[in-house]
Formats: sequence, C-alpha cells, structure tokens
Amino acid sequence: MKKVAFKTLGCRLNQYETDAIASQFQDNGFKLVPFDKEADVYVINSCTVTHQSDHKSRNFISQANRKNPDSVLVVTGCMANNAKTELEGRNEINYVVENDHKSSVYSLVEAHYNGEIFHPSKINSDLFSYGSTDKGFHTRSMVKIQDGCDNFCTFCIIPSVRGRAVSRPIQDILDNVKNVVKNGAKEVVLTGVNIGRYEYESYKFDDVVEQILDLEGDFRLRISSIEPDGFGNKFLGLLNHPKMTPHLHLCLQSGSDPILLKMRRMYNIKRFKEIVNKVRSVRADFNITTDIIIGFPDESDQDFESTCNIIKDLQFGHVHAFKYSIRKGTRAERMPAQVDERIKTQRSEVLREIADDVKFQYRKQFIGKEQIVLVEKTDGKNAKGYGEHYVPVVFEGCELKRNHFYKVKIKEITKDTDPVLIGEQVK
Amino acid sequence: MRSHKVIEIRNLTPSTYIIKMEKKDFTFKTGQYITLGFSGSIDRREYSIYSSEQDKFLEVLIKEVEDGLVSKKLKRCKPGDYLDVDGPFGHFSLKEDEISKKKFLFIATGTGISPIHSFIATHPNMDYQLLHGVRKEEEAYERESYQNNNYILCTSRENSGDFYGRVTEYLKQNPVPSDTVCYLCGNCHMIYEAYDILEKQGINLGPIHTEVYF
Ligand SMILES: Cc1cc2nc3c(=O)[nH]c(=O)nc-3n(C[C@H](O)[C@H](O)[C@H](O)COP(=O)(O)OP(=O)(O)OC[C@H]3O[C@@H](n4cnc5c(N)ncnc54)[C@H](O)[C@@H]3O)c2cc1C
Repeated sequence: MKKVAFKTLGCRLNQYETDAIASQFQDNGFKLVPFDKEADVYVINSCTVTHQSDHKSRNFISQANRKNPDSVLVVTGCMANNAKTELEGRNEINYVVENDHKSSVYSLVEAHYNGEIFHPSKINSDLFSYGSTDKGFHTRSMVKIQDGCDNFCTFCIIPSVRGRAVSRPIQDILDNVKNVVKNGAKEVVLTGVNIGRYEYESYKFDDVVEQILDLEGDFRLRISSIEPDGFGNKFLGLLNHPKMTPHLHLCLQSGSDPILLKMRRMYNIKRFKEIVNKVRSVRADFNITTDIIIGFPDESDQDFESTCNIIKDLQFGHVHAFKYSIRKGTRAERMPAQVDERIKTQRSEVLREIADDVKFQYRKQFIGKEQIVLVEKTDGKNAKGYGEHYVPVVFEGCELKRNHFYKVKIKEITKDTDPVLIGEQVK
Repeated sequence: MRSHKVIEIRNLTPSTYIIKMEKKDFTFKTGQYITLGFSGSIDRREYSIYSSEQDKFLEVLIKEVEDGLVSKKLKRCKPGDYLDVDGPFGHFSLKEDEISKKKFLFIATGTGISPIHSFIATHPNMDYQLLHGVRKEEEAYERESYQNNNYILCTSRENSGDFYGRVTEYLKQNPVPSDTVCYLCGNCHMIYEAYDILEKQGINLGPIHTEVYF
C-alpha cells in the first residue's frame, strides 16, 4: 500500500482542499501517514500571505525531501502561484500545481505512477471539483462556496494568487451539504476566500445561508471567516436560527480609520462596531474573533493604540494578529513609511497580552453555563471538542463518542494562553 | 485580461493625460476601475474609468507621479500601442434607485475626478454638485464637461479657482444638507477629513461611497 502525507499551511480554504484531496488518495488505496513519517507521496499545500508562511513552506519541502528523496513531492497552494518559477527550478519537487489545478493533484500522481508525466497546467482546471471530505481529518465538514477575491486590499496578495471572485452554483452547494450531512457530518463550515461576496445568478450570500439552514438533518452551521462588508440585514436576521452557531470571524485588520483607508478596506470603525453590536444584540455572548495586521505602513503609535482599544472594547473571543510583511506586487509594497521590524515586534507583544486577557475574560463567562459540544476526540470517559461558540471544551461523561453532540455544564477554565473550558456531561 | 489598442493620448497639463483606447466588448458599471499596463508587462496599476458606460471607447485620466513607475511609462504610449486591461473592479458605484431622485455631492482631489466624470457623462441629468480639490487652476481637467454652476474648483496653492483653500475647508464653510448623497474619491487624507466633517453634518456614508487612490 502506497503512503501519502500532507502538510497544510494558511487558511481554512487550504485545509478544506487538503481534506478533499486526501479523501481522493484514500479512496484509491493510499494510506494516510503523518508528515514527519516516510511516505511515497508528499503534498504541501502552501500559503504565501506572509514572509513567515513562505519560510515554513520551504522548510517543509526540505523536510519531505530528507525523509524520502525518492518520493513524489507535490507543492500546491498560493506559494505555487506566487513563486512558481523558483519552485519549478528545484529538483526535489516533482510537481508545482497552481491553485486552479489543485483539485487534480491526485490525477497527476496517478498518471505519474502510470508512467505518464504531465505538466500540471495540462490537466483540467476546476475550482470546485473537489470530492467530499468525509474521510478527512475533522469532524467538521467544510464546504467550499466561493473562491478568489476582487477587493484588492492594498496589503493582500490573494487576488493575484487565488484569482478573481468566483461563486459555486447554489445547487451544487446544497447537494454537497446534503451529502456530507447524510454521511454523518454534524457541523458544516462554509469556506471560501471572501464568502460574503458570494454571487451566483440572483443568489447572494444570505440566500445560500438561508437555504442551508432550511435543509433537514441534525447538523449545525458555522460561517468561518467573513469580511465586514458585502452582507446585509437579512444575514444578521439568520443568526438566531437554531442551526446557526454563534461565532463569526470578522476580519478587522486595524482599529484606526486612517489605516483602514490606506488598506482600502470597505468599512470604517463605526460601521464595524455597528455590525458587532447588531450581532451581539442577537446573542450577547456571540463569539466574534478577528484578524489584526500589526505595523502596516505609516501605522503610528496612536493608530496602534486605537487598535488595542477596540480589542478591549469589542471583547473579541480570539485575535489572530500578525506582523505586516511586504508582499511583492501589492500597493502597500510601494508605500513610504514602512514600520521598523523592532517596533512591529514590540507592538505584537503589547497586543498579544491584551488579546490574551480579553480572550480569557470572554471565555470565563461560560462558567456555570451550558455548551453543546461536538466531540472530536474521546476515550469514552473524557472528551474534547468545541462548543457552539467555537470555544474548546474538555469534559467527563460516560460512553462518550466521537462526532456526537453532548450537553456540557461548564465548571472551570484553564489558565493558559488558549484557555480551555472544563465541564461535565449533563444527562 | 484583454489587449486594447491605444487610439489617442490627450495631454491636459504637462503631467496629466488621457489615454483613449478601443473598447471592444468591455462592459463596466460607471465608477469602476481597471488595471492597466503595457502588453505583457508585470507592472500594472489601477485606474478609474473616465469615459461613460455608453461611450464607444474606453478612457482613463492619469497623472504622472514623481518617481512613479507606471504612470511615467504610460505617458509615453502612442496611438497603435497595445495595453493590457483587466477588470472591471470595485464597488464605488451609484445606486440605480437614487440616480434620478437624489441630490448628489461629489468630492474629488486631483485625478480622483475621473470616476465622477464617468458618473456624470453616464447620467447627464443627475442633480449634482462637484467639489474638485487641486493645487492650481490648470488641474481643472476638462472643466467644460460639467455644467458651470455645478463645478466648484478649490485651489490650495494659488487663488485662481472658485474657492481658495482645500475642499475640506469649503465643506466646513458650506454645510451640506443631510439628505445629500456624497461620493469621495482621491487621496486618503482628504477622504478621512471630509468623511469626518460630513458625518458631523449629519450625512450617512456607506462603504460604496469612498474610493482611495493613495
Ligand atoms: C482604485 C484606484 C483607482 C485609481 N485611479 C487612478 C486614476 O484614475 N488616475 C490616476 O492618476 N491614478 C489613479 N490611481 C493611482 C494609480 O493606481 C497609481 O498609483 C499611480 O498612477 C502611481 O503609479 P506609479 O507606478 O507611477 O507610481 P508608484 O511607483 O506606484 O508609486 C510612487 C508613489 O506615488 C504615490 N502615489 C500614488 N498615486 C499617486 C497620485 N495620484 N498622486 C500622488 N502620489 C501618488 C504612491 O503612494 C507611491 O508612494 C488609482 C488607484 C487606485 C487604488
């Protein structure tokens, strides 16, 4: 039996795509092994959003090659688009597969073993032809509804590596959801690059959400990452649907209006706060998580302070902060007043402390309350999973099973940087 | 991405010019922008579309930026050259149901007047006022395109326009009725300040109403 190993960097969309490719390999008799083990095929699904992600991808390429120099090594994902020539020049890499051909990674490897060597660009491109992910690594089943982005934020390289916004036909999405639910998925997560801008024929994002929520079955719906523009009141009205989980990852990027303008973001602080307030009026404990870029060109101490203040003010459940790094070909690359690395590092430390504190405060409020936890790991007596707010929970009970919902009463919280709720099964 | 043949270059000032290109089957919504560069070149920039939706050609209004790469190169293009056009992009656009009903205020600095020119050329019967902030009078690009009473030139470096000072100063001195629909385009300092002033005057601005150039 041939062995295949995957490494995924970056966003949830990449994670979804890896899961789908992995399922295809498994369906065709491959054994899935951890990335640090010897395998016949290594697939690295790379990211290029920051310098750090490029660096990590390069390390994983070397690692795979060290483990088995004779393996078939495939690099796909955004770095494959952005640094194609460099990667194609490296002897240890067999195939560099750009995003729009990613769904054919399996066909490429299969052809390779049949002695046919294709250039990836010769294989059909299709952004949505991934099979289902039921044999993936998660109890949550991701469903891709959209790809690409036309917003052209000045820091962002995604439009040039993922291409223009394309939406998947609504009927395909509904069929995909029905299928994964039929196969036992208990949580469906919508993914894409800019899902709020979904547009297919006359259907918008809120129509997709509404129609998924109307489907039958014992599942809950999670909206992953969404931009704070492009959706309207109809979407906000769907947030109290019983199948909808009270969690949104709303990308803020900065708490300062002048910086948001320079980033060419499509909202200002006032509008962002309005959205958060509307969401929290549906459910006061709604978990709102976010992304922050630290040290965007021209970010002053005052701009940074505004960002710190809004984090405290809006009580984000989690802040994914990263230092701004120049991406070639973006508008921000050409901006004067780039911020010194040392200042970015200092600001990151300040922000991390604030974000950790706010996260702890947010999670602490669940003590004494109940969560519906979807179990991801269990030995029957102890289990680990996520509640509907997407906060990690560990709990005790009896005859606990993976991929089942349990009502859990929260008793305590751990005190580390990613505080976990500790509870007991409610029978 | 499509290749479009250049028809004509119109120099408006020593640094500002209009590139007129064939339109082919390109369609857009007035207010949107394209990315433009020489055929095959990786150096591309965003430019708002200056011409109207119904024009049979495509035009952009460009100012050569000091030490700029693409704006300088494009200035040297000649009729017959080919440019790569990608797009249209952007959400800076008029709402259909407001066009014939509302009173509009357009505020632009420099070449930020480009999408506004397209708005007005596409919908000549709109009820609008246009505030154009520039340094000198010569930057009143194709002023004759606008009805005289509707165009207010604000010059900041010399007293040669209709108002001596920045557009933001004009706004402070001439408050805007709160039922006006405002659109702002140009440099982000102006947009930030004007936004603040307008909000204080009771104007509600949504995300589609600003377009930042730099
Ligand atoms: C959505 C959008 C629409 C745009 N539409 C137009 C348009 O219709 N007409 C137009 O002339 N420009 C427009 N721009 C600006 C344009 O894309 C380029 O930035 C500009 O032409 C400079 O490019 P460059 O390669 O010559 O200079 P670069 O090498 O890219 O930059 C040099 C420096 O000039 C600064 N800069 C950029 N634009 C200007 C400017 N207009 N005035 C002064 N400094 C500037 C930059 O911050 C940078 O530091 C638009 C920008 C955006 C984002």
